[in-house]
Order: sequence, then C-alpha cells, then structure tokens
Amino acid sequence: MSAATEAAEPLVCVEDVHTYYGKSHILHGVSLTVGTGEVVGLLGRNGVGKSTTLKTIMGLVQPSRGAVLFAGKRITGTPPHKLARLGIGYVPEDRRIFRLLTVTENLRTGLDRHGVTEERRKTLLDKVFTYFPVLAERRGQAGGTLSGGEQQMLAIARAMMLEPRIILLDEPTEGLMPRMVAQIRNIIDVLHGERVSILLVEQNVPLTLEASQRVYILEKGCVRHHCAASAIDVNDPLIKQYLGV
Amino acid sequence: MATIVQFLHSIPIDLLIIQTVNGVVTGMILALVASGLTLIFGIMDVVNFAHGELFMLGAYMGVIAFAMTGNFWLALALSALILAIFGAALQIVTLRPLIGRDPLNTILATFGISLVLQNYALWQFGPVARKISEPIGAEFTLFYLQYPWYRIVIALLSGAIIGAVWLFLKFNKYGVWVRATTQDRVMAQAMGIPVPLVYTGVFALGAAMAAVSGVLFAPFGGVDSQMGLQWVLEAFIVVVVGGMGNLGGSIVAAIFISLLEAYAAVWLDPSQAVIVSFVVLILTLLFRPTGLFAAPK
Ligand SMILES: Nc1ncnc2c1ncn2[C@@H]1O[C@H](COP(=O)(O)OP(=O)(O)OP(=O)(O)O)[C@@H](O)[C@H]1O
Ligand SMILES: [Mg+2]
Repeated sequence: MSAATEAAEPLVCVEDVHTYYGKSHILHGVSLTVGTGEVVGLLGRNGVGKSTTLKTIMGLVQPSRGAVLFAGKRITGTPPHKLARLGIGYVPEDRRIFRLLTVTENLRTGLDRHGVTEERRKTLLDKVFTYFPVLAERRGQAGGTLSGGEQQMLAIARAMMLEPRIILLDEPTEGLMPRMVAQIRNIIDVLHGERVSILLVEQNVPLTLEASQRVYILEKGCVRHHCAASAIDVNDPLIKQYLGV
Repeated sequence: MATIVQFLHSIPIDLLIIQTVNGVVTGMILALVASGLTLIFGIMDVVNFAHGELFMLGAYMGVIAFAMTGNFWLALALSALILAIFGAALQIVTLRPLIGRDPLNTILATFGISLVLQNYALWQFGPVARKISEPIGAEFTLFYLQYPWYRIVIALLSGAIIGAVWLFLKFNKYGVWVRATTQDRVMAQAMGIPVPLVYTGVFALGAAMAAVSGVLFAPFGGVDSQMGLQWVLEAFIVVVVGGMGNLGGSIVAAIFISLLEAYAAVWLDPSQAVIVSFVVLILTLLFRPTGLFAAPK
C-alpha cells in the first residue's frame, strides 16, 4: 500500500458494521478508518447507506454487529451526547438547525460545555464569524429564518463549537450556490489545516476528490472501493457505475 | 334598538370589574399549572395525565409542612422542593425507561401514575378535606366587597414564578438545553446535551410548579385527593387552546379562558360558566388546531 492509502494514526475505525432499520438490513459489514487530521470522502449512489454510516458512528443508530472505535476505544453503545463531548461533531444532511433558537443560541448548544473559558468562547465565536460573516450579521435571528445555505454554515459552525477531533459532514454542499460551495470548501481546508479529521459524504464528486486524501465508495451497504483520492479516474466506467454519474 | 340600550344599561359595571380581578387571579394560578404541563408536553410530546395529582400532592405537602413549621411561605418552598425531588424520581423510575417507545406507552403510564397517586392520597390522608388558612388576612374594599389581598398576592407571585421560568429558559445555559431538546432531541444529543437528564429536570420543574400552585390554591377550596381533577382539566384546555408546548400561548390562554368564565358567571350560573371553556376548546380544535396563540411555524 502506498502511504496515502493507510491512515497513519486511526482516530475513528469502523469495523465490520451491520446496521438495520427495523427488519431492513442497510449496512452489510462496512469497515473504514479515518486518521487524525485526515479528510476522507465517502461516495456512493443514493440510498447505499452513507448517512447511515455516519449515524452509526455518532451512536444515533446502533449496529447489530461490528464495532466503532474512537482513539482506540470501543464507543459502540455510548450515548451520542457523550460522543459529542469526546470530540465527534455531526453535521446531518438535513442540517437540523434549532429553528426557534437564534444563531447565537444554536452556537451556544455546543459552547456551554464544562471547561470552556470566557476567552475560549470568544475565540471560537470569532473564528466562525470570520469564516462565515453572514452568521455574525444574523446572530440574533431565529435559525429557522435563515436561507438553506446560511443554515448549512450554521450547522457546520455549531459542530465546530464542540472543538471536535473529527467532524462527520453529510452532503454539506447539497443545493448550495457556487459562492457558498466555495465557502464550505474553504472551511474544510481550514479544519484540515488544524488537523481536525473529516469524514465527508458528498454527491459532488470533484469537490470530494479535491478535498480528501482518501475515498471509500459504498455500494449496497458494502465498501466496494477504497483508494487515494488522486487515484480515482472519474472517467473509468466502473467508477461511473459505482457513483451513478 | 331600545332593547340593546336597555341591555347596555343593565350591565353591572362594578360586577364586571370584580369579575375581571377574579378572572385574572384564577387565570394566573391556572397559568402556573398549565406552564408546567406545557413544558413537560414540549419535552415528552405527550400530555402528563398525572399533573393534577402533582398539584394535589403539592397541596398536601404544603399542609403538612405548614403544620410542622407554622410558616406558610416556608411550607410553600418546602412543598416545591419535595415535589421536585419526587417528580425527578418518578420520571427516572417510570417514564425514562419508556423514552423512544410509542407515545401511547407514556400516555398510559402517566394515566396509571395519576390513579395510583390519587388512591394513595385517599388511603394516606383520608377522605376529609384538610384546611389551611390564608397567610395574609388583610382585605381591601372593592365596591361593596371586602376583597382579600391574598388573592392579589397569589396572582403576582404566580406571575413572578412564570417570569422567572421564562428568564431561565431564555438566558440560562440549562434553559437553552431545554429549548434545544424540545425542538430536536436527536440533534440536541449530537451537540452533547444530556437529553435524558434534561427530561428529568423538566419533569421536576413542572412538578414543582404544580406543587406551588396547589399550595397557593389550598386556602380557597381545601385539600383532598380529588382536587387536582378540575384544575388539570382546565389546564389541558388551556394547553390546547394556547398551542401545545407553547409557554407564552398557555399563559395568554389561561387568562383569556378564566376571564371568559368569570364574565360568563355574571349572567350564567357558575356551573354553566364552565361550558364556556369547552366551547372555546371545541372552536379552537375546529378552526385552529395548532392553538389560538401559537406562533405559525
Ligand atoms: N429511519 C429509517 N427507517 C427505515 N429506513 C431508512 C431510514 N433511514 C434510511 N433508510 C433507508 O436506508 C437506506 C440507506 O439510507 P441512507 O440515508 O444511509 O442513504 P444515503 O447513502 O445517505 O443516501 P442519499 O445519498 O440519498 O442521502 C435507504 O434505502 C433508506 O431508504
Ligand atoms: Mg444521505
């Protein structure tokens, strides 16, 4: 294996995970790793189980078999609020902004943790307001009144308030206009520069290949392909078939 | 035309003013009961059928604490504290295990709890109503009536408590947790908010608010095992009319309905005046099922 295909220091390991919704078997033994400071893309057609993989890592659905490890420790069965405190940030595909909370209050949900000093709060807020100036303008406005793109930025900013070691990003650029896509692309690079790991689920294949070091391709709840992002040839008919492009 | 003028002349202005005061006083206690109920509804998505029994137990605790301490206000605080602890324990033992199940389970559980608590109170305290006297004896003259200051104090105190809860929800760290959990419990968890703890805390807060209203109301009607029934029925109506889970709406609806009933009692027999709140309830369900005072989503 080349250096790019192995995670030097795995932060998150998903090991042979099987997940069901009721009786329907969605994940059929997914295994993947994300290294510290690494951006990893997770690609695949609609409905192959990308979001379900993220939910399983976040503890929002329980795998019936297999395990998820975080920094070497088994976290399967740990309640999501503890995982958030351990350092896993989650940005769901439907954003799930607290609609009646203001922008500031949405950010507070991640800031009101034990051991965050007043100074640290200010630094964290200043940081997101620098990258997403529109959130600063709208800080007193209810989350539900923001546009789709602004809500997406708020969802990412909110996860950043947790100072996570990894962020699970589910289709962050879906339905956004190019200028906002560029802002999202930028924040991924900023987080990468701070050695925050990212597991990125995207339909935007070029963006994913650009932003990630490695990619996994899911098909029908299994990892079909795994390689360095640079090794993927989007014109390869097999890849086209996996991605449905 | 003449009949209208005659009718207008026949309106007893003094009586209307008295009834306005009465309506606001009852409305404020009702608002206190209903705010606890609506907070719990917001979190659990189901109505707490045991709320009236928390009100009733709160009143009993007030009577007992009063007998021990001799101080009404101390008894009020003790009752709130005891019911908060009791509410937390009740939630942990009976309702927490049901989180994530079909809401019907929770509805049945709270209904069962209500029956158990009612019968427990009957067994423990007996069928004879306990009395507790008003802590403030002073009265003032309102037209031809001697009106007790205590009623005015109750209204102010209820308003102050509701105001304090509102400030807590708006500005306090844990208040933000409660609102976030009410809106999206899954995302609240993903943001590190200990949602099961928030459930327990809100239930405890609701129980304490019910207890306070129970003690404040106790000097009017006496304390017995059935006293929660009437209040909780009115509180349900208020919660629906105000918009399920909407705190501000519940408060406005409580005062609105109490005023309507008070005015209706000018012309109708008080027992018929209760019908007014049902009419409002039915009209609300027919034409604005999300509540008269609900902010449109
Ligand atoms: N709560 C649920 N209950 C039952 N089935 C579900 C649930 N959520 C997802 N599924 C099913 O599980 C499968 C995988 O869903 P998932 O959301 O993980 O797909 P995805 O890869 O994220 O798709 P997309 O690209 O459309 O977001 C789909 O067939 C979906 O219908
Ligand atoms: Mg998805």
